[in-house]
Amino acid sequence: MSRLHLAEVVESSTSEFLAQCRELHVVPPFGSLVKVPGPITAFALVYDVATRSIEPNRRATAFGMTPEELAEEQPQIFELLRTEIKAFLIGYEATGRVLQILPPEPPRIHSFVYACSRDEIKAFSAKTDFLRSLFNNSRVPVDELIIAAVRLAAEAHDHPGQYLVQAGKELAKLLRDDYDRLHSLMRRIAL
Amino acid sequence: MKAHRKLLGVITRGSLLDGIEMKLAAEIDVEDVKAGKFVVISGRQNLFFCMITDVRLDASNPEILLNPPGHDDMLMRQVLAGTSTYVTVSLRPMLTLPVAEQHERRDPLPVKTIPPHFAEVYEAEEQDVNRIFGSEAMGKQYFNIGQPLDMETPVCLNLARFVERSNGIFGKTGTGKTFLTRVVLAGLIKQRAAVNFVFDMHNEYGWDSRREDGSFVRGLRQIFGNQVAIFTLDPLSSRRRGVSADYEVYVPYSEITVEDISPLQDELRLNNTAVEAAYLVAARYKDKWLEVLLAQDDIKAFAEEVGAHPESLSALYRKLKRVESFPFVVKSNQASDAIDRIMDCLRRGIHVVLEFGQQNSMLCYLLVANIITRRIHELYVQQTEKYLATRDKGDEPRQLVITIEEAHKFLNPTAAKQTIFGVIAREMRKYYVSLLVVDQRPSGIEDEVLSQLGTRITALLNDEKDIQAVLTGVSNTAGLRGVLASLDSKQQALVIGHAVPMPVVVKTRTYDEEFFRAMGALPQAEKQKKLQQDMISLFGEEQLP
Repeated sequence: MSRLHLAEVVESSTSEFLAQCRELHVVPPFGSLVKVPGPITAFALVYDVATRSIEPNRRATAFGMTPEELAEEQPQIFELLRTEIKAFLIGYEATGRVLQILPPEPPRIHSFVYACSRDEIKAFSAKTDFLRSLFNNSRVPVDELIIAAVRLAAEAHDHPGQYLVQAGKELAKLLRDDYDRLHSLMRRIAL
Repeated sequence: MKAHRKLLGVITRGSLLDGIEMKLAAEIDVEDVKAGKFVVISGRQNLFFCMITDVRLDASNPEILLNPPGHDDMLMRQVLAGTSTYVTVSLRPMLTLPVAEQHERRDPLPVKTIPPHFAEVYEAEEQDVNRIFGSEAMGKQYFNIGQPLDMETPVCLNLARFVERSNGIFGKTGTGKTFLTRVVLAGLIKQRAAVNFVFDMHNEYGWDSRREDGSFVRGLRQIFGNQVAIFTLDPLSSRRRGVSADYEVYVPYSEITVEDISPLQDELRLNNTAVEAAYLVAARYKDKWLEVLLAQDDIKAFAEEVGAHPESLSALYRKLKRVESFPFVVKSNQASDAIDRIMDCLRRGIHVVLEFGQQNSMLCYLLVANIITRRIHELYVQQTEKYLATRDKGDEPRQLVITIEEAHKFLNPTAAKQTIFGVIAREMRKYYVSLLVVDQRPSGIEDEVLSQLGTRITALLNDEKDIQAVLTGVSNTAGLRGVLASLDSKQQALVIGHAVPMPVVVKTRTYDEEFFRAMGALPQAEKQKKLQQDMISLFGEEQLP
């Protein structure tokens, strides 16, 4: 893997994982597709980004300085912080095929997490079945995640407009009974 | 089914009785789906040939209809199209064919089952149309009358079957009935399917006639030359219009019987007792009855003589006096052979167009049509009986098609029982005579006659009663009703019945130079050239002036 990894998996389960970022504040955008290579390559959508103190019992304190002044006068405090991402597993790649179902085993702890390239995003999001697995999930902000994921995926496609329609049709099927929600989703996706 | 065909949608529900419903594929524009269009459903075992009868907009959620996307919200419209808002198309399966036999030459069968869920629906292609309607290349009996909607393939009438029954051409005024009739007549003449007799009330079939845009089109005589003879009741009018009529028709009094008068009760405002009085006169004076009656000065004395009621007889006298004013009615001693000549032409296979010229009052038309048709009827019955006796192919009468306009005047419930046309419509098929009924008010025609019509070619009709009438005697009419009411007002017709395996909407063939050429007629310039060449080949070049 020539590119540097973004983060490292520190907690893993069947449906999601927690990873600690290599650098403070260097994070994949909310809703972006990341991958975790391993025996099988898992794909996940970033749904939560948090920066907090290394010590669970201590909290960062306000200094009243600009970031530049802070970096000059108190550089050590940045070493006491870490950025973590949570990602929701939505598919995996096995024997050259991309499947939009949960991987048979979660990513291993200490695996590296990489951002996906435009081609990878395009290949993965060509089908829009993954949108269904985002629904029925109480832990993630579903609507916001869908909006972000669809917008990012559309940017990777050659004809973003067409892709929006394709994804929109999938959403229309999922939200058959909730026209208002669909309307609001589509309005925000199209912004 | 081949992959390159255009997929229109999939079957979602249906029943054999009520027809089948298809969900239109999202990428197909609903405006391309027209009632009357011809489509094919690819079932597991069978292909089903269907006609589109209805198109409906549906939504999965009534909320959408309450808050429709704004006019600039294209994304939302595109997203909803085909998913939450969709188009349902009603199809009427007409014929079926086993998939395994689709490349064999077999006639399609009536539909006895329906395709399964999600069977794919395709646009029909040339081969399907040919398969069902035949093509002119397949035999002389096929005649191209137009194309299905949005297709270039010709739909053919099976003329052999067409002439077996009486047929109707219907449509509101101005929808192209006359052009349609000309096309059909030209087909009958060209393919020699039958010999035609046309009662040309408005002088439109024999010679040049005018289009609505003012230009002129050729008549049958100009297309088929001496295969068509023009008879005229009004030689003066024919000459004024520059028509060279072959014969002038005169009707001697002796040819007019009481049976010819009684159907005119409406036109003449005769009551029943007057007709009875006519029978009394005829009983005494036989075929001179009309001449004698009209020559009377003292009706009262005459009434006593024949034993009729004087008032009735004088009413009859007054009303029949109108007949005397017709220039074509002549004294019996100036016997005319026009009717025999017509018979003779028909026997020789020459098609006859009878022009009425200025004599186109309804009374005159009814009277003449009755008299002539009665004679034709007698002749054909005799000929057929002769043929039945000898069984000699040479004695077999030629199939005759009599074209009548304003047919409801002859075939309305009262007249159909009295006029000879009612008899022909009902039973003359056995005697090699059928009618081609041209009318704009089919609801005025008697039900029994309508139900016996073999093939109906129907242009646009709006009146509910007329639509009902045209569909009398056709099974499963629910879908066809909508199709009929949605036809274009020009050059479109629904063809149903005996001569086509399934109902079909056609864009009828244009009656233009190309058509004349296809019928074997040469344009004027080429005609001159050919004449020149013929003269050269006959007389040699030097002899010509």
